[in-house]
Amino acid sequence: MGVLQRIALALHIRPRGTNPVPFVLMFKKFKSILERNNRILTLMADMGDKVGGEYVFDRRYIESACEELADQIFKLISDLSILNHCRNVSLFVAFERVRQEIAEELAGRHHFPDTPPTLPMSELRGDMGEAAGGKFSRLGELKNMLQLPVPDGFVITTGAFAEFMTSNGLPECIRRETERLDVDEEGTIQEASAVVRDRILGASLPRSLSRGIAESLADLAKRLGGPIQTLAVRSSAWDEDGETSFAGQYESVIGVLPKDVPAAFKRVVAGAYSPEAWLYRRRRGFKEHEAVMAVGCQVMIDSVVSGGMYTYAPLTRKEEGIFVSAAWGLCAPIMSGELETDSYLIGRTAPFPVLSQEVVRKSQLLALSARGGTAYADVVPEHAEAPCLTEADLSLLGEAAISLEKYFKRPQDVEWTIDAMGRLYILQSRALVFYGEPQRRTGAIDAATSRAEVLFSGRGDVVQRGVAMGQVYVLRTEEDLDDIPFGAILVTHYTSPRYSRVMARAQGILTDIGSPAGHMAAVAREFRLPTIVGCGVATQLLHTGDEITVDATQNVVYRGLVKELRYFELTEETVYEDSYEYRLLRRVLKKITPLQLVDSHAPEFTPTSCRTYHDIIRYIHEQAVAELVELSENRQGILDASASKLRSPLPLNLSIIDLDGERLGGMAEIEIEQLPSLPLRELLTGLLGSGMWETEPVPVDMGSFMSSLTRNLGLGAPGSEKLGRNLAVVSQEYMNCNLHLGYHFVLIDAYVGDNTNDNSLYFRFLGGVTDFSRRARRVRCIGNILERSDFRVEIHGDLVVGRIKQFEKETMCAKLRLLGGLVGFTRQLDVRMARENDSHCFAEEFLAAIKPVLEESYGTS
Amino acid sequence: MAHPDTATLPTKRRLFVLDDEPIVVKRLKPAFQKVGYDVFVFTDSVAALSAFEDKPADIVITDLKMKGMDGITFLERIKAISPAVGVIVITGFATLQTAKESFHKGAFDFVSKPFKLADILDVVARLEASLGSDGHAD
Repeated sequence: MGVLQRIALALHIRPRGTNPVPFVLMFKKFKSILERNNRILTLMADMGDKVGGEYVFDRRYIESACEELADQIFKLISDLSILNHCRNVSLFVAFERVRQEIAEELAGRHHFPDTPPTLPMSELRGDMGEAAGGKFSRLGELKNMLQLPVPDGFVITTGAFAEFMTSNGLPECIRRETERLDVDEEGTIQEASAVVRDRILGASLPRSLSRGIAESLADLAKRLGGPIQTLAVRSSAWDEDGETSFAGQYESVIGVLPKDVPAAFKRVVAGAYSPEAWLYRRRRGFKEHEAVMAVGCQVMIDSVVSGGMYTYAPLTRKEEGIFVSAAWGLCAPIMSGELETDSYLIGRTAPFPVLSQEVVRKSQLLALSARGGTAYADVVPEHAEAPCLTEADLSLLGEAAISLEKYFKRPQDVEWTIDAMGRLYILQSRALVFYGEPQRRTGAIDAATSRAEVLFSGRGDVVQRGVAMGQVYVLRTEEDLDDIPFGAILVTHYTSPRYSRVMARAQGILTDIGSPAGHMAAVAREFRLPTIVGCGVATQLLHTGDEITVDATQNVVYRGLVKELRYFELTEETVYEDSYEYRLLRRVLKKITPLQLVDSHAPEFTPTSCRTYHDIIRYIHEQAVAELVELSENRQGILDASASKLRSPLPLNLSIIDLDGERLGGMAEIEIEQLPSLPLRELLTGLLGSGMWETEPVPVDMGSFMSSLTRNLGLGAPGSEKLGRNLAVVSQEYMNCNLHLGYHFVLIDAYVGDNTNDNSLYFRFLGGVTDFSRRARRVRCIGNILERSDFRVEIHGDLVVGRIKQFEKETMCAKLRLLGGLVGFTRQLDVRMARENDSHCFAEEFLAAIKPVLEESYGTS
Repeated sequence: MAHPDTATLPTKRRLFVLDDEPIVVKRLKPAFQKVGYDVFVFTDSVAALSAFEDKPADIVITDLKMKGMDGITFLERIKAISPAVGVIVITGFATLQTAKESFHKGAFDFVSKPFKLADILDVVARLEASLGSDGHAD
C-alpha cells in the first residue's frame, strides 16, 4: 500500500520509544482526535437520519457522504499515529477493508454472504434475502422484528444451495440444457426440465449440509421441548415475494418427517426447474445465474382453519376493509383454489368488526397424517355449514393485517393458519399488487386534506415518514405503557427508548420534545412507525380517544380520519423503502454504524476486530486516552516554566499547565475560582468542599507504617514543598491531573464539555507501601465507592481503575466532585483502616458524607 | 389551496420536476400531488423543455447539474418561453456561485440536496404566495 508506506515514512522519523513531539502538542492532538471523533459521529447520525424518509437524497449524496466519512476517519487514524508513534498500521488496514466493502456496495457488487449452511429463524432479518432468500428473510422480519407469530424452523442458505449445485456438477448440466432452450424453447422445455430435475433428485448433499440440517433439527427439537412431528419445506428464492412475485411457481413439500428433510430439499430445488417455473423466469428476464434459492424448513402447524387475507380490500369504493378467506384444515389447497372458502370483510380498526360475511358449505379438508404426509378428509357435518372463524379469530387477523401493512407500507397478501389452541400463525406475507385509480388518488386528496381541520403542522421533526390514522393515547406515566390499545397513536411529552416495547402495537408516535437523533428515533425507524418528535403542543392539544390522522410525510396532524390520505399512501407507485437508494443507504450504513467493539477489556478489542467505521473510531478514542495517560506519566518534554501554581488552603503543591494558552500567565499563583478548567475546578471543589481532607494531622497510629508521612501532609506542615510535584494539564474542558498524595498516586483524566459523547473520566489509584491485608481492604473500599457511583471498575493488586463516559456535563461534574472527595478520603483511609475492620462501612460513610457536595449545581466554585 | 367544490375541476396548477436522479422525482411527485398540484416529472432536460414548449408549467423545480442541457440553460429557456414561471433550483453541488447565477437568471429560490420534503414544500408555498392567487402562467 503506497499510502501506508508514505505515512510510515512520514511518521517514523525517530526511533520508537523517544518522544519526538512536545507534550503540549500531544495534548492538542488528543483534543483534535476528540473533536474529529465527534464530527464523525455527527456525520454518521446525519446519514442515519436520511433513512427515516423525511429527506430527499440521491445516490450522489450517499457517495459524497461516504467519501467525507472515509476522509475524516483516515485523518483520525493519522492523528492517532502521532500520539502512539505509528503503532497503528493495523488500523489503517481495518479502515481500508471497510472502505473497500463500502466501495463495492456503491459499485453494486454485493458481498456474497458467508454464512453457515443453515440459519435458525431467530437469526433471520428482512435484509438477509441474499442468504435466506426473499420469503424467509421476510418471515424472519415478521417473527423477529414485528413479533408476529411465525412457525419456528430454520433455513438452508443460498450458500449451501450453491455448494450443493456445484459439488454435483449441476451448473454445467443446466448450462447445457439452457443452450438447448435458447435454440428451441417450446420444443425442448419438457425434456430439459426432466433431465435437470432427475439430476437434482439423484444428487447427494455435501457433508457440511447434511450435518447442518441434522444440527438444526436437533436445535429445533430442543426449542420445541420435544420431538418434531412434521415440517413444511418451502422454497425461498432470491427476490421471491420481493419485486417479482413467484407466487405458486415454486414447490413446497408439506408434512415432511425430520429424516426426510434432505429428500424434500432436493424436491424443492428440483421444483425450480419445472417447465412452468423455468419458463416464468426466462420470460421475466431472469438470468440463469440469478436462479438462486434458499430452502426453509418450518414446523408444521396442526391447522384447524387456514386461509388468505388481503389487508386492504380494494373491493368497494366506499368501504375500506380487510378481506379474509378461510376454510377448515391446512392452508395449501385453500391457496391453490381447490377448496371452497368462507369470506369476511372486516373493519380496519380494533376490534375489527365484521362488515359482511359469506359462509359456504365446506365438504373436504386437508389434514396431517400420523405417519408423515397429508391426506384429505371429510369435514364433520356440524362444521360443514358453520362459519369457520370466530370474532376473536378475526380480531387476531385484523391486528396482524394492520401490523404488516404498517410495516411494509403497502397492502399485503397474507397466508395464515390457526391451530387447535386458537393460536394464529403467519405463513407468508407479500405485497398485494394493485394500483389506485389515478383520478381517485390525486383528485380527492387535496380536497380531503383542505377540508380536514389541521391541528398543527410543520412542528417538530419527522423521524419516520408515513401516514398514521387512529385514536390518540396520551401517555402520562410510563406505568401506563402496557395499556396502550392496539392501533393507537401514542402521544407523549418526552421521547423514551422504553416506548420501543409498544411500537409493534402503536400506529404512530407524537412527542412534545425530543430529538430525531435519539435512541427512540432509531427504533421508530426500525419499525417504520410514522413518528414526529418535538411537536411542542401534542400533549396539550390532543386527548386520549381523539381520532386523528398523522401525515408524517408532510408533517401535518389532522383532526379526524382522512381516509383519502391512507388510500393515497397505500397505492403509491413506489414505496420509498423499496427504492434502490434507500436499500443502498441501508446496506452502506451496515458497514458504518453498528458498534461491535463494545468492551474495551475483551481480548477482541483490537484493530483487526474492527468491522465498521464505528468500531474504528471507538477503538481510537479508547487508544487515544490510553496514550495520553501513558504520556502524562512519562513527563519528558514538559516545560516547568509554563506552569502556574494553585493557591489553596491545602498543601496540594499543584502546578497547572494550561493548554489553551497564556491565560494564566507566568508562574503566578492562582485561586481555584480563577481556574479556567471546568473539570479541575469541580475536582478541587469536591476536595475542599467535602471536608474529607482532614486538616488536623491524622492521629498518630504506630501500627501504621506510613503514619508519620501522612502527618507531614497536614496543613502548613513544613517540608511540603519538597513533596511530590503535583501536576494538572488542563484546558477549558479537559484535565489530566497527577497527584502524589503521601503514599498514594492518583491520576484523573477528564474531559467534560457540552457534547455528551466526548465526555469521559478516568480515575486511577495506586496505593503505597503498607501491609497486604490493609492494602486489599483499601482497594476494595475504593472499588466499592466507584462502582456504586456508576464507574466501571478494575482492580489489579493495589491498583484501582475507574472509568465513566458519555454522561451529560452536569453528571460528569458531580462525579468529579465525588472524586475530589475521594482523593481526600483515601489520604486518611489507610490509617483508619488500621483500626477499623469493614471496608464496606467506609464506603457507606463516604457516600453519605459526599452527598451534599454532589447535589450542588456545577460551576458554583 | 383548492376549495372542495372546485377540487375536481381542472384548475390545478402545473408543476414540473426535473432531476436526472429518478429517486428525486419519484419522491417529489407524490408530495406535490398530495398538496394539489398536477405534477409532471422528467429525468431528461430536453424532454422537460419540449413538454414545457407544448404547455408551460406554473412552477418548475429543476436540478442544476445534469447530463445534456444543464439546469441553468434549461432555466433560461423556460423563462424565455414563459417569464411568469416560478423556478426553484435544487442541486447537490451547492456553491455560492451557482446560487448567484441561478438567482440572476430568475430563479425564485435555491435548495441544496439532500433536503427535507417539508423544506421544499415551504419554498413552493412561498413561491405560490408571491405568484398571487391568479398568477397562472399561460
